Amino acid sequence: MLRLISLLLVITVFISCRKEDEEETPDFNKSALLTNLSGEIILPAISQFAGDLSDLSASFDQFTADNSAANLAVTQESLKAAYLTWQTVKIFDFGPVRNNGIKGSIGTYPSDTAVIASNISSGSYNLSSIGNADAIGLSALDYLLFKQGALTSLTTDPNYTQYVADVIDKMVNEFSTVVSQWQTYKATFDASTGTSSTSAFSELVNEFNRDFELAKTAKVGIPLGKQSLGIQLPEYIEARYSGFSLEVLAESVRALQNLYNGIGFNSGTNGQGFDDYLIHLEKSALDGTIDTGFTAIMNKTNSFSNTFEQEMAVNVPELDELYSLLQGHVVHIKTDMTSSFGVLITYQDNDGD
Amino acid sequence: MTVTNSLSANINNFLHQKVSIAPLIIFRIIFGALLLFGALRFVSKGWVEQLYILPNYHFGYLGFEWVEKLPGNWMYLPFVLMILSSIFIIIGYYYRISATLFFLSFTYVELIDKSYYLNHYYFVSLMCFIMIWLPANRYFSLDATRNKTIEVSHIPQWTIRIIQFQLGVVYLFAGLAKINPDWLIEGQPLGTWLQAHHNIPIIGTFLQEKWMAVSFSWAGCIYDLLIVFFLLAAKTRKFAYFVVVVFHLITWLLFPIGVFPWVMIFSTLIFFSPQFHEKLLNRIQQLFKKNKQFIYSPSSETNFLPKRLVNSVLAVFILFQVLIPFRYALYPGNLYWTEEGYRFSWRVMLMHKEGHAVFYMKDIKTGRESEINNAKFLTRTQEDQMATQPDMILQYAQILKEYYNGQLLHYGDQQFLIENPSIHADIYVSLNNRLSQKFVDKRHDLTSFEYNLKHRTWLEPFKE
Repeated sequence: MLRLISLLLVITVFISCRKEDEEETPDFNKSALLTNLSGEIILPAISQFAGDLSDLSASFDQFTADNSAANLAVTQESLKAAYLTWQTVKIFDFGPVRNNGIKGSIGTYPSDTAVIASNISSGSYNLSSIGNADAIGLSALDYLLFKQGALTSLTTDPNYTQYVADVIDKMVNEFSTVVSQWQTYKATFDASTGTSSTSAFSELVNEFNRDFELAKTAKVGIPLGKQSLGIQLPEYIEARYSGFSLEVLAESVRALQNLYNGIGFNSGTNGQGFDDYLIHLEKSALDGTIDTGFTAIMNKTNSFSNTFEQEMAVNVPELDELYSLLQGHVVHIKTDMTSSFGVLITYQDNDGD
Repeated sequence: MTVTNSLSANINNFLHQKVSIAPLIIFRIIFGALLLFGALRFVSKGWVEQLYILPNYHFGYLGFEWVEKLPGNWMYLPFVLMILSSIFIIIGYYYRISATLFFLSFTYVELIDKSYYLNHYYFVSLMCFIMIWLPANRYFSLDATRNKTIEVSHIPQWTIRIIQFQLGVVYLFAGLAKINPDWLIEGQPLGTWLQAHHNIPIIGTFLQEKWMAVSFSWAGCIYDLLIVFFLLAAKTRKFAYFVVVVFHLITWLLFPIGVFPWVMIFSTLIFFSPQFHEKLLNRIQQLFKKNKQFIYSPSSETNFLPKRLVNSVLAVFILFQVLIPFRYALYPGNLYWTEEGYRFSWRVMLMHKEGHAVFYMKDIKTGRESEINNAKFLTRTQEDQMATQPDMILQYAQILKEYYNGQLLHYGDQQFLIENPSIHADIYVSLNNRLSQKFVDKRHDLTSFEYNLKHRTWLEPFKE
C-alpha cells in the first residue's frame, strides 16, 4: 500500500513537472516588491510630503509678515501641493503612519467649520483633543485659506491667523516623527513577507484596497448621495472650498495605479509591483484588466472641466458613470487580485472558509 | 435467524467486552489539557471582546437564532466556566458535571455566531458531548480517590471505540471531500496558500510550483483517507503516528488553523495499545508519588450504563455522523458555490473564497435607494464571511431591514420615513483561484426569501 502511494506521488510530481517546464513564469519575490515600494515610493513620498509641509509653513510665515493677496496665493499653492502628495502617503496606513494616528489627524474630512469658528473666537483650544478631530489637518486649511473672505479674516483677525499657524505646526511636528520612524521601520517592512494578517505585505495589500474603496466612497459616493437615498451632500466634498476635489481624486487614483505597477514616486521607473506578482501567478489578463481599469477611471476623472460641486449640479449622469467605474474596479482588486495573493484579511483561526 | 442472533451477539461482545481503562484516562487528561489551552488562548488573544462583545450583530445558526450573547463583559463567564471545568476534567473532579458544563458553555459560545465556524470547534463540541457519557473518571481521578467504589481498571470497549470512531469520521470525510478536480488536478486552493510562502528560505522556491501544490493535495487526500486504518493496525501504528505528527506540524507551520493540529496529534494517541497507555499512566502516577501499579481489578457490571441504552444511542449517533456530511447530495449545483450542506461535514482547507458585497436599501415609496456601509453593521471578519455565504447574506438582509424599517432619515432639508424597505445586493465572488463571477444579482429583494434548508434559487449559477 505504501509503495502504491509513493508511486502515485512520484507519477503526479513527474506529470506536473513536465507541464511546468513548457511555460516558465518570470521570477517574483515579495521581498523585492516590498524593497522597491518602500525605497522608491513610500520613503520618497514621505520625504516629499515633509518638504511640502515645511514649504507650506514657510509660505504662511511669509504671508504673516506681509499680508498680500499674492502671498496668500503662494500659501494656497503650497497647500495644494501638500494635498496632492498626501494622496500617496495616506495609502500606507500601517507602521509609523498608523502608530502616530497620522491618517486621522492630517486627512480627516469634511471639517466641522462650526468647531473651527468657535476655536478661533475663543482663542484657546487643544488641537489634539477628540473634540477637535474635525477641526485640523489639510481639510481645515482648505476651509481657512480658501473660504470666501479668507484674506480679510487673515488680515483682520489675529486669532484666525494663529489658528492656521497652529494647524500647520501640528502637522509639521507630527509628520516629522513619521519621517524619522520610517528610516528604521524600512528594514522591518522589507523583511515582513509572511502570510499572517499583520505582515507588511498583507497590510500593504489590505490598505491598498481600503484606500481605493475610500476614494470611491468618500471622494465620490457620499457627496453624490450614494448612501443618502440619492440626495446630494455637497458638504461632504473633499477640498470643497479650494475646489480642487477632482484633481485630488485623480491624484489618488494615479498614486494607487503607480503603487500597483511599482512605479517610482520620483524616478518614474517601473519596478516590482502587484502587477509583477499577478503576471508571475500567470494572471496577465487580470493584470491587463486592472491596469486599463485604473486608466479608464483617470481619464473619466480628467474629463470634467469644472469643480466637483459644479459638476454635481449639472452633470450627475457623468459622475454616476465615474462612480460605476470605481465600483466595478473594487471587484478586480479586492476580490480577484487579493485572493490570488493568498493574503489573509483577518487574524482569526481559519480552516479554509 | 441464527445469523442475526450471532451478529448481534458479536456486536454486543465487541461493544461491551472489557478492556483496560488506561487509554481513556490518558485521553481525559490530554483532551482536558487541550480544552484548557484552547480556552486560555482564546481569551488571551482578546477574541472574547473582538468576536463577541464588540460586534453589534451576530449570525445565528438555523433553528438556533434564539441563542443570544450575554451582555458586555458577562461574555467572559462561559470562558471562565470552560477554564474551570477543563481543569476539573483533567483532575477528574465532579467529572461528569464538569464535562457537561464544558460542553454546554463551549457549544453555547459557538452557537452565537456562525461567522467563526471552524470544523475543529464542531469536533470539540461533539467530543465533549461524547465525554459526558464516558467513565473517564473511574481511575486516577479525584472522584475515584474520594469514592473508592467507583474505581475500576476495565471498562466496556465502546467507550474507547467511540473516540476512535469520531476521529475516523473526521479524517475519512475530510479525505472524501478532497476527491474533486479543484483539489486533485488544479492543486487549489493549496496552490494559492503555498505560493504565499515563497519567501521561506530554500523550500520557498518549491512552494510556488504547481507540482508541489498538486503533490501536497494528493498527499493530504491519501493521508486523510487511509491514516485511520494504519493507526488501527498494530503493525503500522508507530509509523502512522509519526506521519500524523509530521502532517499536522506542517499544517501548523503553513496555515493559521489554530489548535487543530495539536488536537489531532494528541487525540490520535487513543489508537495506541492499552499497554502503551498503562505504562504512560504508571509514569504519571509515579510523578504523584503514588506507588500504585496498574493492576487488573474486575468491576461489577451494574456500574456501567445499560447495554441496551448504549447500543441504541450509539446506533443513532453513528448514523447521524455518517449521514450529515452526505446531505449536500440532496442539493443541485456546485457545493462550494452554494454551500448548501457545507458545514458540519469535515470540509477542511477546501475553499479559498473571496467576495465583494454591496448592499442596497430601497425605499419602496419613493423608489430611492441607499448603498449600505457594511462596516457600520459588521466586523471585518463577519463581512468577509457573509459576502461568500448565501445563508449569511439572507440574515444580513434581515438585519438591515429591521434596522431601517420605521426610521426617519434626514438628508439635507429632506426627510424620509422608511417603511418596509427592500434589500438588494450586488455580490461578486472568486472561488479557488478563478476570476470572480456574479454571485447575487441586484434584482432580488433578499428580504423576500425565507432562511431555510430549501435549495436557494436566487444565486447566480456557477460557471466553470
